[in-house]
Parts: sequence; C-alpha cells; structure tokens
Amino acid sequence: MARASEPDFDPIGIFKALDRARVSYIVIGGLARVLQGTDELTDGVDIVPAMREENLRRLDLALDELNAQRRDGKKTRALTGVNVLELGTDLGELKIVPEPAGTRGFDDLRRAASREYLGSGVRVAVASVGDLARMTAALGREQDEPALRMLHSVAEIERSIGHGLEL
Amino acid sequence: MTSGMLIREARLRASLTQTELSERSGRDRAQIARWESDSVQPSFETLRDLVRACGFDLALALVPYDVDEGGEKRLRENLFRSPENRLQAMLKERKR
Repeated sequence: MARASEPDFDPIGIFKALDRARVSYIVIGGLARVLQGTDELTDGVDIVPAMREENLRRLDLALDELNAQRRDGKKTRALTGVNVLELGTDLGELKIVPEPAGTRGFDDLRRAASREYLGSGVRVAVASVGDLARMTAALGREQDEPALRMLHSVAEIERSIGHGLEL
Repeated sequence: MTSGMLIREARLRASLTQTELSERSGRDRAQIARWESDSVQPSFETLRDLVRACGFDLALALVPYDVDEGGEKRLRENLFRSPENRLQAMLKERKR
C-alpha cells in the first residue's frame, strides 16, 4: 500500500532491519560521506550489497520488513541489470546500488571500508573517503562538486592530523 | 585530494592490482601500498611516474585558492567527533 506521507528518516532503524536479516553491505553515498566527516545533509541510505545469492535472499527479507516499495511503482525488486534500485521504506529512502560508478561493487569497496559504531548496537561498514571520492567523481555531476571538494578536504585534514584517529 | 587518493584512483581506473603497478613502474609493491594509504608521501616525480604507469598523466595548473575558513573549521570539528555523533548532528540539523 502506498504511503500517505514521507516517513521520518531513521537510518538506524534501516540498519537494524538489515542486520537482523544478516545482510552484508557497505554504506555509500551522502550518508557515508557524513559518517566520514563531511558537512552536508542527506535523507536516505545508499548501500552496496554483496551480490551472493544467499545475501540477496536476506536482503529481500529485510526489504519486506521495511515494507520497501520501488519509487517508480514497479513491483519487482530484482537487482539484475539494475544500476540503482530506489525504494521508499517505512523508515525513509533506501537506494541499493549493485555496482556504483567507478567501482567493481562490494568486493572492491570492502577492502578499504571501515566498520563504524553508530549507537543503539548498530555497527556498519562504511566506504572509505578515497572510494567515496572515486564514486562521486565518476558520476561526473556538477551537483556533487561541493561534496567532492569536502571529501578531498577531509582526506587532507586527516593526513595533516594523523591517521587512525581513535574515535 | 591526497597523493594516495590520486595513485589509487589511477591504478583502479587502469584496472591494475598493486602488484601489476609495481611491475609496470619498477617500484616496490609494499611501498606503493604505503603511498596509497598516505602513510608516506611520494615525491612529485614519483607520483607522476606512477600515474603515467597507469596510462594517465598529471595536468597541473595554478588556479586561485580561496580558503573557506568556516567550512574548514566545521570539517575539522566533525573529524574529532565519532561517526555516531556525526550522524546524530546531521539528523538534528535536518529537523531544523
């Protein structure tokens, strides 16, 4: 059933649903940039799932729990041949991106991703600053230039104050 | 952008592993890993050689640089917050 209004954005709730179904994924996009330190607002969760069959089955269970529905009104949630699956859920927007621009997907991003604690027992894998910059640059969109500049600044500041800040 | 990000981006755009870049450039693989992680900084000439080994070149130009002190200060403050606090601050800001 369609939603009467936009739900409050609850990224922790979305991550909890994914974790309950034991989905393997990496957070990318605007929310990942915020978690890595950029100064911007975002209203959705973007993830890159592992494309193993079992993981996709688990993802489907989580999407059921979140009452996820495609933004374009189509019923199928199959990821084959899809660049981005845009979903509305009970807890906000969720985009599933099998192979983000400039990358080779989950296994590519996993190497440099870090696991970050977000509170409420939730710990997620977040794409690295370098990989986020790579994805943002590969999109080649003018609207992303401020975010790309911030990512570059974050990388430079991190380097200047030393790696491995204990947070 | 850091030199490490530039090397890694060039290598990945060329679909090379660190080992393959090591063979092409004649540099030690472990050293390439240190450069990519920005734990050690290569010289400009080394950076250019590595990028060229990936099939690219550095196009450098001097452009005006405006320091956004407010933005830089906010980023520095953000980096001393935990990811949990960064998320909470962003969600609070959204509600304003």
